Parts: sequence; structure tokens; C-alpha cells
Amino acid sequence: MMNLVRLMIVAAIWLGLAVSAQDELVDERILLTFIPNVQFAPFYVGVEDGYFADAGFNVSLAHLQEPEVLDLVAVGQANFGIVSGEQVILARSRGRDVVYVFEWFQKYPVGLVYSSALDLSDLANLQDMAIGIPGRFGASYSGLTTLLGSAGLSEADIDLREIGFNAPEVFCLGVIDAAIVYVNNEPLQINNLAADGDCGSVREVDVITVASQVDLVSNGLIVSRAYLEENPDAVARMVGGLAGALRSVIDNPAGAYLASLAHVDSLPADEALLKALESAAEEQVDFLASDPDRGDIARSRRRLAAELAERFDRAALTQLNVLLNTIELWDAENIGYSDLSSWEAMRDTLDSMGFLEDDAGSLQDAFSNRFVTGADW
Amino acid sequence: MTLSLRELSVSFRDPAGGALPALGPISFEVAEQQFVCVVGPTGCGKSTLIRVLAGLLPPSSGAALCDGEAIDRPMRQFAIMFQDANLMPWRTVLDNIALPLEIAGVSRPTRYEVVRALLPQLHLESFELAYPAALSGGMEQRVALGRVLVQQPKVVLLDEPFGALDALTRENLGRLLLRLRRRYVQTIVMVTHDINEAALLADRVIVMSRGPGRLVADVSVDLPRPRRHDMIYHQAFLKLTKRIRASIDDLSA
Amino acid sequence: MGKVRLDESRHREMAAGLEVSLRRLAPFLTIACLLLLWQWISSRGIISHILVPPPADVYQAFIDSLADGTLLKHTVITLEEMLYGLLLGVGIGLAIGYAIAKAPILENILSPVIVAFQSTPIVAYAPLLVIWFGSGIASKIVTTAVIVFFPTLVNTIVGIRSVSPNLRDLMRSLKAGRWQIFRHLEAPSALPVILAGLKTSTTLAVIGAVVGEFVSQGSGLGYLVTSARNLYDTPLVVVAVLAMTAISLTLYGIVAYVEWRFLVWQRRASA
Repeated sequence: MMNLVRLMIVAAIWLGLAVSAQDELVDERILLTFIPNVQFAPFYVGVEDGYFADAGFNVSLAHLQEPEVLDLVAVGQANFGIVSGEQVILARSRGRDVVYVFEWFQKYPVGLVYSSALDLSDLANLQDMAIGIPGRFGASYSGLTTLLGSAGLSEADIDLREIGFNAPEVFCLGVIDAAIVYVNNEPLQINNLAADGDCGSVREVDVITVASQVDLVSNGLIVSRAYLEENPDAVARMVGGLAGALRSVIDNPAGAYLASLAHVDSLPADEALLKALESAAEEQVDFLASDPDRGDIARSRRRLAAELAERFDRAALTQLNVLLNTIELWDAENIGYSDLSSWEAMRDTLDSMGFLEDDAGSLQDAFSNRFVTGADW
Repeated sequence: MTLSLRELSVSFRDPAGGALPALGPISFEVAEQQFVCVVGPTGCGKSTLIRVLAGLLPPSSGAALCDGEAIDRPMRQFAIMFQDANLMPWRTVLDNIALPLEIAGVSRPTRYEVVRALLPQLHLESFELAYPAALSGGMEQRVALGRVLVQQPKVVLLDEPFGALDALTRENLGRLLLRLRRRYVQTIVMVTHDINEAALLADRVIVMSRGPGRLVADVSVDLPRPRRHDMIYHQAFLKLTKRIRASIDDLSA
Repeated sequence: MGKVRLDESRHREMAAGLEVSLRRLAPFLTIACLLLLWQWISSRGIISHILVPPPADVYQAFIDSLADGTLLKHTVITLEEMLYGLLLGVGIGLAIGYAIAKAPILENILSPVIVAFQSTPIVAYAPLLVIWFGSGIASKIVTTAVIVFFPTLVNTIVGIRSVSPNLRDLMRSLKAGRWQIFRHLEAPSALPVILAGLKTSTTLAVIGAVVGEFVSQGSGLGYLVTSARNLYDTPLVVVAVLAMTAISLTLYGIVAYVEWRFLVWQRRASA
């Protein structure tokens, strides 16, 4: 059965091809981090629904570790990559001239998860608590340092345990009081465990996001300066394509989930869920035609979550809920735009961690909003 | 010490579970201080016989006795010498010969003293610290012989000890064996497939038939001692070996 | 005439001597050539410094990490994990290997587990080991132990089973006890094979420890690689990798020395 969404996809691709000035699409590989996951839905939607093709690119996706993504972009093995802002500052301080041209995550995705039974209304209560963290690196470590800094604490004031990416298991064993996690993902998993009674004495968890304390620059699209200077037009088109895809995910998460199925193997999708999502996606298209504002759309997402929660069990909806949670980190009036102050805050964090022995260089050179302003239509 | 075999037989189990008769039934006696050679074609169970006497292999029926006592385990005062020298490649000549003493709990200085006294008789005095890999076949067997002698056994069992050596070396070792026997008189049972060797060394030659091995001839050797190698050209010796030969040939006929 | 022959033989001797010293020198020449090639590639800018840092930078990183104690600290930690892991893995390997060699029924009982463990790549289940044994040193010791266990086990079984049956008969005829048979026959007889297994094990031990450190971050050379990588300090990454090579070669060398020292009889035999 051909549904309306698929029809629109085909139409969009067709239209994209027709209006595109050059008939030949340029092959481009975008380097992502982590593993294929619903959190990369904007890229799947960009590929599946023709946003990249409209921009003149035939995009393929690959997943690597952040430092590898950055180095490959820096030396021109790939033109586009997704890394977090802190990586840009660190790498630039070590001679990698890359430029951050599009802020994908508007809110820093890291936070502290803890049992609701604890009183953390004052962050200073973290004193002497056992806190788990994947390791002393990356966004988690920067996030923790920022959180502690905003509470007037330092690493020496807490009992920091390196636990790898095993926060739900370790937290539920009761070995740690709290864990630094990605706020869109692990709290959900821990709550699921807690609801099943598999999380020790913990019944429910709360999260303090880093973003609620300090605005730190987060994940975004990078290019090398050499590529930027030679192909400003291509950069502008890629930013435009990504912005369009991202907006589409924010507006229609059910459609984005469906587009992700082709890219993420383990995404739950039985027949009933597929049907429900397809009809939700179709309805959303009609709803969007009525020109709703951001608030209306946000409410429509919450409605979707509530409706599905009544019909399906938690496990089946986990990944969709991760996507919905993540959308909250993406949604903004001016998507793609990053603030100098958020870069400065990140630099100060890295500095306080002792990661910046060399001169970090001018932060103005680290990012550019010039492609965003025009692209955010 | 006297040895006697009473209706002794050994059979092995074939893979299908049936019995493979290997030896006997066979009966004979070996008198105190007698030197008996057992000859016979390949596969007549000679080595099996030695292993039973050594207490390494239980008989399937009948019995092997030593001074009337059943041999059901390795016996005290028995020493065995194998077809290959069977030395430990990680031990020097000195330590290989001293092995039985070490196992018996003799202290290092004492056992070295004993072995060093023995080495000249074996013509090994300058190879004390050599490892077996550096020795010739004949020297290896002299070491093995030394390892038998340090045990001061009453009974010596020899399983084709010179089988793998060239003719001249065999002769030399045979001479050495006889010379040493004069000094340390023991009961000896030696398996060989060489009729001349058997006749020259032994007081008595027992001929065995092939599969399963049975006694077919028991020939006493009444050549004078000390034996010399040129005796093999004597009429009496030739007659003797002819007789032994004939009883083996009868078998194959 | 005689003089000519003498010269000839001396000439031949010298040529042979030269050949031996050339062969001794060859590995060092290889290393020198690789260093020159490395220097040349990076000075010509054929490959970006970002990907292949120049030798001078690596040397600087080595000196710096030595001076501030980082290199030594992480090397010692990795060494510690490896040594405990070796002790545990080799110990268990020897014990189970000996038991299996003596009682073949044990092989039938244990082989499904052992073969399953061995045929599964350690990197695949290292994360499980971290969950089970915690993120401290224990999980790295276990990872190392698991990886060194198998070569020890196999070589112990092979070594004990290859003990000459004639020598067993000899020991029995000498009325040697169980312990005496082990001490005077089985152990020395199996030692060469077991030491060969130990050489393999020592090089594998580095892999075990580093895999553990990659999975559960915290300390050690594997962690130094990750953390240097995350700080875009490629020269330090190279230093850490070379330190692993050095550890591996050193341990291998120690076992090779023990082998050389204890197996005099084998050396004499081949000479």
C-alpha cells in the first residue's frame, strides 16, 4: 500500500531532481559519530526524503569516533562531519583548521541522572557523592566539569567513577548515587528499569541538564577551512539541506522514525506500530498545512507520545521516545545558529580541565553562522 | 634370584573388543645368576615377555614369579634396559646415570661419587657433563647400561639393547656387558634377534615362535667362559648356532 | 701453496664472520630505514602531520610524557595488569592443561566451554567482563588471563602428552612416585613446549590488557591512547603504542632468555 508520505518523498525527490541546476548529484560522505541510531534521524530524513538531493548531493553516511571524524575532515578525506563543539576547540588548538558551520544540537545533551529520592535542588549537595561517568573525556566530562563548576565544586569534592557506557546497569546496581548521561537516552532506559522494579530501590529518576546551568556549544556540522574557502556554495547547500531535514524531523517525528527504519537495524517496528506511525505521519502533514507555530507543533509531539503510550508497551516505544526527547534538544527558533558565548563557556570549561595547554586560538575562527542565516527559511 | 614363568600368557584388546593373543602360554625357569637370551622372529612377543617380567604389564593368565613371589608391579632389585637408550635429553650423562639413585633419595654428593666411580668402566669419564644429543648411539647405550648398574640389581632385563647399533658397536657393547657381568654377577634375561649375539653372551638360549609366542627350543650354551669374539669361528659355536637357526627355520616351514 | 690455502681459508672465515655480523645488524638496519622513510614522508608533507606526526614530534612527546611521569605511570599500570593476568591465566592454563593431559575424559567435558571461549573474539565480550568484574584492575586482569589461558592450556596438554612412554616405563620401573614423575620427567619434558606457549602468551597479554583498558577507561597505555586521541595529541598516541610494543618485546625477550638459560640441552643439541 502506497501511503501519502512515501508519495510525497518520491515527489520531493523527483521535484528536487527537476529543479536542480545540475542533473548530476555530487557524492558526499557525511561522517557521524556513535552508531546508527534514531538520534541521527535528520540525516536519514535528509537522505530518504530528498533534502540532500535537493541540495545537489548524493549523501552516504558513516560512523566513526569523534577524533577520527575530525581528523578525516581536517585532512580532506571527507568534506563534512558531525562533532561536538569542544572537539573543534581541542583540535584547533592542535593544528586542525576546521570550521563549525551549523549547530545541530541547540541544547547541550549531557546531564546528571539521579534518584528522585535524592535532594539535589542545590547542586552543592553533590559533595562526596559517587558519580559515574563513561570516562574522563568527551562531552560527558566537559558537562560534568561545567555542572560542578556552576555549583562551586571541583572533581576532588566528589567520588568520580569511570564506568564506560554502562550507566543504566551500574546505576541500577546501586554502586553510584548519580551518573553523567545523555539526557535524551539513558534516563529513559533507567526509568524503564525502575518501572519494572529492576533498579534496586530506585523508583523514578530526575535529570539536571547541563544546558539548564550554562549554554555550552554542542554537536554540529564541520568542514575544513580549505574546503570552505574553495566551495562556499557547496557548504551553503549542505547546511540548507541539513536545516531542511532537521526541521522536517522536528515537525513530523513519526515520519522521521519511519525514514530511520532503513538505516537503523534494531529499531522496533511491528506491523501495528508501523501502521500507527504511518497514519500519524499522514495526519501530521495535514496539520502542518494549517501553518501551526512552534508551540503548536511541540504540543502535537506530546500528543503523539501520549496516544502511542496508550496503545503500545514501553519497550516498543523506547526509541521513538528517545527521538522525541532528542527533538527537544534540537528545536529552536533559529536552528543551526551558535552563540559566541556558548563557545567561550566551552573554552573556559576545557581550560579548567587542563585540556588546553596550547593557545586555543581565536574562537571567532572556530565557527561561522553565515550559512545559517540565509538557510533557515 | 630365580625367575619362573608358569603358563604365562598375555593378550591385548583389539579395537573391535576381541582378544589379540600376543604371548604364551609359555613356561620356563631362569636360575640364579643365569644369563638367558630369548630369540625369535619379530612379533613373537619377546618385548611383551620383558615387560611382564619388569612388572610393567600384568599377565592375562598364568604368572611370572621371582623367588616364588608373583611379579605384579616393578620389583625391587630389577633393572631394565630398553631398545633405545631412553635417556632424558635434559640431563647430562652424569645425571642420567644418577637418576635411579636420585629417585631412591640418595644425596647428590653420594650419587655423584658412585656414578663417577662407574664412568671409567663405561669409557665415559670424559663425557660426564655431555648431553645425550652430543653422544653416539653406542655411547648412549653405555650410559643406559650405567643407569642399570648403579641400581646394583639382582636381575637385569634387556630388551634388544643393541638392536639399533652397527655390528662393531654391538660387539664392543657385548664385550663390555660380559666384562661387567663378571664384576657384578646377576641374573640376566636378554631379548635379541641376533643368534650369534645370543650364543656368544648367554648360558642358555630360548627360541620362541611367532604369534602368540611360545617356547619352541631351549638350548644350553656350554661354551667356556670367558667368551672371546673369535669363538664364533669355532666348530662348537657353529654347531650351536646351526641348531638354534634350525629351530627358527622349522617355525617358518 | 700452503700459504695460499691458508689465506683462502682465512678469507672464507672473514666472509663468514661478516655474514654473521650483517645478519645481526639487519634488524637494526630495517628499523633505521623505516625511521628515515618516516622522517622523509613527514618532512615532504606527503601525508599530513595530522595523520602521521614527524619523528621529532613523537620524540618530543616521549620526552615530555617521560618528564611529567604520565608515560611511566600508565606503563606501570599496564604492566601490572599484564603480569597479574599472566600469572592467573598461565596458572589456570597449566593446572587445567595438566589435568586434561592426565585424564582425557576431562577434555570431553571441558572442551565445549574452552573452544567456545577461544573462538569468540575477546573484543566482543570484553565489555561483559567489565560489567562482571568492574571497571577497576580486576576486569583487565581477567581479560588478560582469558587471552593467555588458551595457548598455555594447549601447549601444556601437548607437552605432557608428548612425554615419551618409554621414559614413563623407565620411571615406573624405578618405582618413582607421582610427584617424582612430575618433577623429574613430565615437567622438564614439557618445559620447551610450555615455554613456547608462554612466549605467545606474553605478546597476547598486551592485547588483553589494552583491550580491557579500551573498554573501561581509567588508566594504562590503552587509556593513554584514547585520551591522547581525544586531545588530538597524535604524537602521544604514537608514543603510547610504541610503549606497548616495548613492553611486549621486553616480556618476550625475558621468556626467550629463560628458555635460553634453562634449555641448555636443546642449545647443545642444535649446535
